[in-house]
Amino acid sequence: MASTAVHKVTPTRLIRWRQTRLGLLFISPWVIGFCLFYLYPFFATLYYSFTTFTGIGNPAFTGLSNYSGLLHDATFRTALFNTFYYTIIEVPLSTVAALGLALLLNLNVRGQVIYRTLFYIPSIVPVVASSLIFVWIFQPSFGIVNSLLSDVHVNGPAWFFSITWSKPTFILLGLWGLGQPMVIYLAALQGVPKEMYEVAALEGAGPWQRLRKVTIPMISPVILFNVILSLVLSIQYFTQAQVIESPAGSPGNSTMFFVTYYYQQAFTDLHLGYASAMAFLLFILVLIITVVLLKTSRRWVYYENEGR
Amino acid sequence: MLKKIYAAPAILAASAALALAACGGPAASSGTSSTSASGGGVVNITWQTMWSGNTLTLLNQMISQFNSTHPDIHVTESSIPSATGDAKLLSEIAAGDPPDVFTEWNPVLGEYAGDGTIQSMAPYLTGSYAGLEKWLYPIALAGGEYNGTLYGVPMGMNSWALYYNKSMLKAAGISSPPTSLAQLYTDQAKEWKISGGKLEQIGFYPSYNQGMEYFDSFFGAVNCFDSSGKYALATCPGAQAEANFLASYDSYPYSLVAANETAYGGVAGGDDDAFVAGKEGFTMDGPWEGAQNIPVTNPAMVGNFGVIPFPNTVGGPSTFGQGNYNIIPKGAAHPQQAFEFIAWLAGYNNESFMTSLYPKGGWMPTSPAGAATPAFQAWLKSNPWLNVYIEQMSSPLSQTPKLTAHESEFFTAEATASEAIAEKSETPQQALTYIDQQANSGAGG
Repeated sequence: MASTAVHKVTPTRLIRWRQTRLGLLFISPWVIGFCLFYLYPFFATLYYSFTTFTGIGNPAFTGLSNYSGLLHDATFRTALFNTFYYTIIEVPLSTVAALGLALLLNLNVRGQVIYRTLFYIPSIVPVVASSLIFVWIFQPSFGIVNSLLSDVHVNGPAWFFSITWSKPTFILLGLWGLGQPMVIYLAALQGVPKEMYEVAALEGAGPWQRLRKVTIPMISPVILFNVILSLVLSIQYFTQAQVIESPAGSPGNSTMFFVTYYYQQAFTDLHLGYASAMAFLLFILVLIITVVLLKTSRRWVYYENEGR
Repeated sequence: MLKKIYAAPAILAASAALALAACGGPAASSGTSSTSASGGGVVNITWQTMWSGNTLTLLNQMISQFNSTHPDIHVTESSIPSATGDAKLLSEIAAGDPPDVFTEWNPVLGEYAGDGTIQSMAPYLTGSYAGLEKWLYPIALAGGEYNGTLYGVPMGMNSWALYYNKSMLKAAGISSPPTSLAQLYTDQAKEWKISGGKLEQIGFYPSYNQGMEYFDSFFGAVNCFDSSGKYALATCPGAQAEANFLASYDSYPYSLVAANETAYGGVAGGDDDAFVAGKEGFTMDGPWEGAQNIPVTNPAMVGNFGVIPFPNTVGGPSTFGQGNYNIIPKGAAHPQQAFEFIAWLAGYNNESFMTSLYPKGGWMPTSPAGAATPAFQAWLKSNPWLNVYIEQMSSPLSQTPKLTAHESEFFTAEATASEAIAEKSETPQQALTYIDQQANSGAGG
């Protein structure tokens, strides 16, 4: 009884469907990869977080025991504290430093290209290599930093090996890799129309006002991007601490970061269920922080096409 | 079949969830191993290790020799970084494509044997291999046994003793090395040099990077279990003596020692340390320190060191059984041939060849027969300090930690506790209680 007219496929719809099919075909490698390597593992992690599992054999369902275990795990709480400590200081510090460096390297001075190259080079040094270099730079007995401090009659601390100084030293080490955000800021700065500075200057704005009223608003989307990236990387801080400190987290668990502890649980002690619960919590944590940041960004990020 | 399905996704999942949280790059794939079926009468087997550098060269020599003397088996070696070695093995087992032979540090064996990750070797201990267990040193055999069943066979053993720097001893006005713990403490105290907050020379610092586990045998604290088989270090007199011994060094600056050792350890692929650099009076270490690390990293120290048994408190020289053990993962395609290769690597009916390589690796033989070979005796003759190690191998006081399903947790806890004692954040008794809690709880899933 159905009318054939209703179901008749018009040429336009046919073309649209063919285009859609072609589009899906083109993006299918990515979609398949995403489903296999991100989506499935994500839900699998969620499942394993409710089990006891060593990697071999059948996982045993244990309900919320891994999550309640985390609540009562003192090392986990320490790891969370250390990670937040690092993130809260490192993110603003590296943002200001990278932006400041980019502003300096954006100045039209002689040898500008050489300076840019010099400041970028550290970020391409492998993390393990730069970590070992910093062990020597901050070596308390024969490192260059304490030698310089002793020249001004200051007894330097044990840096990476002091409970008090270990985290601040890792923050300093984090500044070594500023090249990446710096280049992104530099690119953004070069995208700010010169006319805006000319107009601001004509209206009597000084360098500080031009920075505040023109530069920062114009590159604020890039600042947001870098801040989110930096936040995520800080929360997942791992390699440097793992390379430098032995046993993991030393001295006195002062460098036991979230992922350091996760790694210990998953790959040293083979507590894959417990580690899955940690991984899932980490995901939730990053998600919440990112959403909050994006929501608040409406107040401070300027998008040209919004006309604000 | 179900078991095969689970582990790879779990490891991948845990890793990928992190990657997802990072909005980062793709998760690492587990890769493949290339165990091929036999063809033309030759069985191809794969040997996976976590070694690199000079040791890898040594392994290749072993493989060449084995392949040339065993026309029916062909071995291929693959090396992966130690940081991911275990995870990769688990992924491969879960995927049903493990290597035939995997070299593993033996404390992990208990955990693997307990959950069926590795195969028992009992079925192969027949015929010409019936005498293998008796052929091994008792401490070498114990290092591969879980609940009385053989799961791993060593290819070289570790042994531990006390090194001393001759010129530093002389400079401190000491005529002979110490024979008691008290004398060691007094002697090493004369060798420390700290000036203006800078550590210039270490006397002796017992626990850095060698947690309590390495000192257990010297205090009769290797197997401290209660009647129900649980770890009970807090009530074990040997463990208490050991923890107090470590605590007796807490007046020295642990943070500066750690900083020195980490800096030296970052050089020469970790083969360097303060003793090798000539900046430490005493160190407790294995034969590779004198056989490999010193000649390669600081030849100036060759001839300037001596080795004595650790001046222990329980009646005589001892060491503890530990080493690199070869295992057959669950699902290995050619377990029979894998076992044949493993026995050969141990030096079983192959003593002369294997012991000729030990000087290069700084290893101890796995059996008295290996120690008796002309090649090994020649090495001992040219390096008499090695005798200390070999004598300890057959000492009745030497022990092997019993392999348990929670050895990893135990080892991690001992390292953390040692550091806590050094940092004075816990008393020796608190540290021992912490070890028991961690090792017995097997915290988390």
